[in-house]
Amino acid sequence: MSNQNIKPINTGEIKEMLNRQKGKMKRYLSFCAHCSLCADSCFLYRAHNRDPQYMPSYKVIQSLGKLYKKRGEADRRLLTEIKGIVWRNCVLCGRCYCPIGIHIPSMIAFARSICRSQDVYPQGDEASSESWL
Amino acid sequence: MYDLIEGPFLSLAFIIFVLGLLYQGSRFFQLTRKKEWIAPPLPGAEKRVKKSVGQFIIDGLASVKGTLWKTDPLMMIVTSAFHVCLILAPIFLLAHNVLLDQSWGIGLWSFPESFTDWLTIVVLICVAFFLMRRLFLARVRAITSFYDYFVLLIAAAPFLTGYLAYHQWFDYRTVMILHILTAELMLITVPFTKLGHMLFFFLYRFLIGSEYSFTRGSRTW
Ligand code: HEM
Ligand code: HEM
Ligand code: SF4
Ligand code: SF4
Repeated sequence: MSNQNIKPINTGEIKEMLNRQKGKMKRYLSFCAHCSLCADSCFLYRAHNRDPQYMPSYKVIQSLGKLYKKRGEADRRLLTEIKGIVWRNCVLCGRCYCPIGIHIPSMIAFARSICRSQDVYPQGDEASSESWL
Repeated sequence: MYDLIEGPFLSLAFIIFVLGLLYQGSRFFQLTRKKEWIAPPLPGAEKRVKKSVGQFIIDGLASVKGTLWKTDPLMMIVTSAFHVCLILAPIFLLAHNVLLDQSWGIGLWSFPESFTDWLTIVVLICVAFFLMRRLFLARVRAITSFYDYFVLLIAAAPFLTGYLAYHQWFDYRTVMILHILTAELMLITVPFTKLGHMLFFFLYRFLIGSEYSFTRGSRTW
């Protein structure tokens, strides 16, 4: 049994984490021009037939962006959804290039920290069955 | 109505624009006071190798290969034209500088009106291109919401109404009121929407420590 079904989600903790990084993360989120020029710099995007799901800005908007939009009111379903995005769809290789200078990896890493603080992360066998390459 | 939007509203819009950018900028400097070594000095790294002019050009062209100019040249041409014209047209527009001169006595040098008219057309064509991209390219649509269309409209509206006013299409007075209102809306929204990339492009790409920094930026959040 994984511990992922035991601990209740502590939204207070999520809110506190979001607030601590607000100055940086909210500016990154709001000054993204939504232009998609970062798409081709991500090898996962290219390796998946240019599926928009793998585009750097898409991954950030659907994970950290959603958490800020909901002001930290996340439930387990949302965090599990985010888990797939930030661990499976991005490997934090740091190669993404944004002309405006938005640093995608730090945002994905932060979304991972938030998930981990709620004990949501890929568990042993899950990590290997998610091998996608 | 005309007096109101041309007088106090206009000053207010400019004040919000300037103070908003100053606020965002100063927050940035407060938040990124920490410095880090982004590129540790390597022995001998300062020594510049002398290159011939030919080699310099070949290397320069080769380095374009890894950039967006290689992977998405059409978009790069359009976005460059868009931004250059967007900045130049209103600043060096005769009508604007005459108005500035009348009220402040500080009119800048201006382009010929037919030239700025062309710059305006270029901006509008580029906006149409962005709109098409947003509507039809899967990767752009995936991150597009109503907000993106709205901001694109905010950026385009002063140019559209300015164009209509210059050519005196429709009722001049109404178009002029719309022109000033949309221009004010644009100025007010720049510091607080994604248009704020106008400032943050420079802060991010020049000052934050990163592999992609244009200089050796070393600030960290
Ligand atoms: C807020 C104060 C503003 C005032 C009072 C103002 C006023 C005017 C006037 C009087 C004209 C000339 C119309 C004619 O020739 O009969 C004009 C044209 C124009 N304005 Fe503005 N303007 C303002 C702000 C802006 C801003 C912020 C922008 C762009 C970002 C802008 C872009 C243009 C353009 C592009 C034209 C010329 C269009 C063409 O020649 O084809 N204006 N404006
Ligand atoms: C002054 C320096 C500026 C720089 C370096 C800059 C840079 C960029 C870059 C790199 C992009 C992404 C590529 C693209 O989608 O075209 C972009 C997009 C955009 N910029 Fe700027 N920009 C600047 C100023 C402005 C200003 C003043 C405005 C308008 C008031 C503006 C309006 C836009 C719009 C509307 C887009 C998005 C186009 C779309 O919907 O795809 N920019 N900018
Ligand atoms: S992260 Fe950068 S390149 Fe990607 S969509 Fe946003 S502004 Fe464009
Ligand atoms: S860090 Fe993630 S989003 Fe960026 S290029 Fe690597 S896999 Fe793609």
